[in-house]
Amino acid sequence: MTDLAPPAPGMLEDLRRRFFASPLQALVSLLSLGLIALVGWKLLNWALLSAVFDASQGAEACHRAAGACWSVIAARWRIILFGLYPYEEQWRSALACVAVVAMTVLSCIPAFWTGRRIAAIWLAGTTVFYVLMKGGVLGLSHVGEESWGGLALTLFIFVATCLIGFPLSIVLALLRRSELPWISRTTGLIIDAVRSLPLISILFTFAIVLPFALPHWLQGDKLYRVIVGSALFFAAYQAEIVRGGMQGVAHGQGEAAMALGLSYWQRVSRILLPQAMRNALPATINQFVISFKETSLVVIVGFFEIIASGNAAYGTGEWRFAYAEVYTFIAFIYFVFVFSLSRYGAFLERRMSVGER
Amino acid sequence: MATLAQSPNPDIALRIEGMNKYFGNFHALRNIELTVTRGEKIVVCGPSGSGKSTMIRCINRLEEHNSGRIVVLGTELNDDVGNIDEIRREVGMVFQHFNLFPHMSVLENCVLAPMLVRKLPRPQAEEMALRFLEKVRIPEQASKYPGQLSGGQQQRVAIARALCMQPQMMLFDEPTSALDPEMISEVLDVMVTLAADGMTMICVTHEMGFARRVADRVIFMDRGEIIEEAPPETFFTASRNERTRQFLSQILNH
Amino acid sequence: MGSLLRNQKARNALLQAVFVGALGSLVIAGALIARQNMAAQGITSGFDFLFKPTGWEVTFSLLPAKPTDPYWWYFLIGIINTLFLGAFGLVTATLVGTVVGLARTSSNDLARLLGRSYVDVFRNIPLILQVFFWNALITNLPPPREAHEAWGFALTSRGLYVPILNVHGLAFAGATLALLAAIVLPIWLGRTTRLDSRPEQRRPAQLGTAVLALAGAVLILFLGRLPDTSLMSVPALRGLNLQGGLRVPPEFTALVVAIAVYGGSYIAEIVRGGFKAVGKGQVEAANSLGLTPWQVFSCVRLPLALRAMLPILANQYVWLMKATTLGIAVGFADFFMIVALTINHSGQTLEAIGILMAGFLIINLSLAALFNRINKAIALKGSQLRG
Ligand SMILES: Nc1ncnc2c1ncn2[C@@H]1O[C@H](COP(=O)(O)OP(=O)(O)OP(=O)(O)O)[C@@H](O)[C@H]1O
Ligand SMILES: [Mg+2]
Repeated sequence: MTDLAPPAPGMLEDLRRRFFASPLQALVSLLSLGLIALVGWKLLNWALLSAVFDASQGAEACHRAAGACWSVIAARWRIILFGLYPYEEQWRSALACVAVVAMTVLSCIPAFWTGRRIAAIWLAGTTVFYVLMKGGVLGLSHVGEESWGGLALTLFIFVATCLIGFPLSIVLALLRRSELPWISRTTGLIIDAVRSLPLISILFTFAIVLPFALPHWLQGDKLYRVIVGSALFFAAYQAEIVRGGMQGVAHGQGEAAMALGLSYWQRVSRILLPQAMRNALPATINQFVISFKETSLVVIVGFFEIIASGNAAYGTGEWRFAYAEVYTFIAFIYFVFVFSLSRYGAFLERRMSVGER
Repeated sequence: MATLAQSPNPDIALRIEGMNKYFGNFHALRNIELTVTRGEKIVVCGPSGSGKSTMIRCINRLEEHNSGRIVVLGTELNDDVGNIDEIRREVGMVFQHFNLFPHMSVLENCVLAPMLVRKLPRPQAEEMALRFLEKVRIPEQASKYPGQLSGGQQQRVAIARALCMQPQMMLFDEPTSALDPEMISEVLDVMVTLAADGMTMICVTHEMGFARRVADRVIFMDRGEIIEEAPPETFFTASRNERTRQFLSQILNH
Repeated sequence: MGSLLRNQKARNALLQAVFVGALGSLVIAGALIARQNMAAQGITSGFDFLFKPTGWEVTFSLLPAKPTDPYWWYFLIGIINTLFLGAFGLVTATLVGTVVGLARTSSNDLARLLGRSYVDVFRNIPLILQVFFWNALITNLPPPREAHEAWGFALTSRGLYVPILNVHGLAFAGATLALLAAIVLPIWLGRTTRLDSRPEQRRPAQLGTAVLALAGAVLILFLGRLPDTSLMSVPALRGLNLQGGLRVPPEFTALVVAIAVYGGSYIAEIVRGGFKAVGKGQVEAANSLGLTPWQVFSCVRLPLALRAMLPILANQYVWLMKATTLGIAVGFADFFMIVALTINHSGQTLEAIGILMAGFLIINLSLAALFNRINKAIALKGSQLRG
């Protein structure tokens, strides 16, 4: 361009333009600034400036302070993270959590996005987790599921839900798309029924009601029943996402594969699913995020996952006042997981929409 | 079934007798009669919606016919899944919109079916795929993805992919009508070569030059019926049928 | 047999029969075992229990409730509680979401920063954790004696005290309906085609109905006044407790706040998405016609964005409705908690679960139907404009 650029505005001019262009703009700016300053200052003061970090003085020191009482975390973090897991073995619980995180990070790398590799990573990660937690082999002492708790239990329920729910969702999606009317209609009915129910009612049914309707040998542990229920719920939602992905695969793809003589399973596994999963990827990650948050609901049917262990951490005697600190700590843990996963999802979505041609 | 499979004349590649096809209440194909001998090249033309695609899609069961008989390469097309599999193995098809698998490279597109269906080991399948890619004149694109190729190149890959199954008969459904004009001839050239090699071909196309050069017979369809069936020279110059002449004047004069 | 299995039609029929048969027999087997188990505990299956007295108290009810009331009455109470909580939650979440969403789409960097931080923080923390937090916060407030008071409202560990009118419950409901009519009827009159032939009558008709409905509301309130009381009942300290006014229990307050905050963060994103979906061209056209910024917003951007948002919003509302079941975490007697208590006390497991499913199905379907109607009513006419 050959025209002369307008002279660069001074900083003040720039500020005026950006924040005080009109009276309304100015009002919004001032209000926002005030709010940011107020909330920011209060938070900063509470969380850092007036907070008590020193655990050695116990709960007493907190009563005198105006800010947060982080010493409750210092004193109780083990119960929040590991629940009732035996004290000397808690390193196993910690290591198990690391294994799950590693597994999640690995499966976010595109190089591992083939059905086989993802399945291998998840099976390996879950096995490592399970062996570490449960023990009984490799010289690890046995720790029953009833003493699992805290973050490790939350992660276990989530991972197991995905591990069962994800394949199930693909099966449900395929059944719902079946050309055989009775199969597709029945499946549709099941999916819609599950989707119309609140998750809590499903967890409740599987934890408390189902033993009524199952023969004794099929009942299993309550933990696994709840996992199955939560997997079913996950699968019902994920199945619709997968189905959406399948609808995005051109009709001609299946026909071309048919004309080449591929069998149903070959068409599904080689042609339909790879393309459908790619279409469904952003929504799938979103579903994982939602499902991770919803794992927390198992607290209602009596599991000692991270929220319940948090309740226990402040619920006793001297720390009774420190609910805000404990909940903030747990919220922060959730935030780290959920925020990074959803940012990753948003990144993928942007990348894919750019990559489209 | 066994009696039909050994059809009396092994020279007959396809026999359709009294075939009817309905979409709901809509009568899409009426009383189709057609016999194709091995090595014969048939061109099918006719106005849009006349049932050309439906007819050739019935030949490999992408559509199911409602009555009448279809015998392909000595095997009757009926509810027997074994027969359907066998016919699909032996009959290749090329589509208007290529339908290449976008998540696979050109080479993977070509080796997929031979490996899965014919159980060929990978090295052999790849060697054959490269041979056919050479035949359609794009061996250098083997590692590219379909999205990186032009329309004409994609259609040639689609032909190579079908050939890799070493079919005894090929079906083409308007293979050039989704292409830009300058790419049509590269695809037609490949098809001409294929015809010269003696492949049995049934082509739905409006490329009348191709029909003149290659076809043994031209079939004209309208409203689900075969109206006329003639060698190209008589078809183009001495058609007795009013609708055929009207159709020809429409597509030849513009 | 082998050739039969090779036959496509036979195979399909067999597959379907096996599939449906397997599922059906699973369900039947489960039901039979459950009946057997219930019989072993001396529980007769069937819906007769609906007419038996419950024998337990319900912690929150808009309708009169006592332990001698039958189960069906309790279920009704549960559904009304759920709808009540849901309605409060939806409205507050929508308000929060609209404000935050507008902040997120604003051209002001500071407002956008605020909106974005809000969404990032509250969307990424599980709802139940937020419910627990607000519940703990309220129950840890000072007792009524040292309550925070302002404008007749009081926030205490026993809940939120609000001033109310001293009128009969039914009269209050009636007046609310009349007020709603005062808003809805004029809008309807403004749109109905029946008055198209007499446009000059539109204004008077609108004004007339509004005034009439308002007068009706006042009349109902006046008739429903509780005798011998002042018009307003304001909470005031008597001894150790607050008297007068209406006490909103902590769990209800906590649930509404949590749903508003969490749901608001989702609705904010929907609002933002709606505004993003409005074509640049339309806004530019409006600007070039010389409309003021406010006119561009209210006549072009808002109506178009609203149409883009509505279907997603409907899903979100259904989700929020289901989120009311978190009530059980803090002891709010919503529909689900009543069902859970019923199962505990009466053992009528299958029936109660059936009622739960039916209840939520009806709630979800009615919400969906309502939104479908709204959607149809405001959809752009013709298909040319969409895109
Ligand atoms: N799946 C289907 N369901 C219902 N009707 C169909 C279906 N497929 C094709 N038809 C109808 O059958 C008739 C024949 O369609 P067909 O695709 O065979 O025509 P065509 O001769 O190939 O036309 P074109 O030159 O446009 O490709 C058309 O009227 C079409 O509307
Ligand atoms: Mg066609």
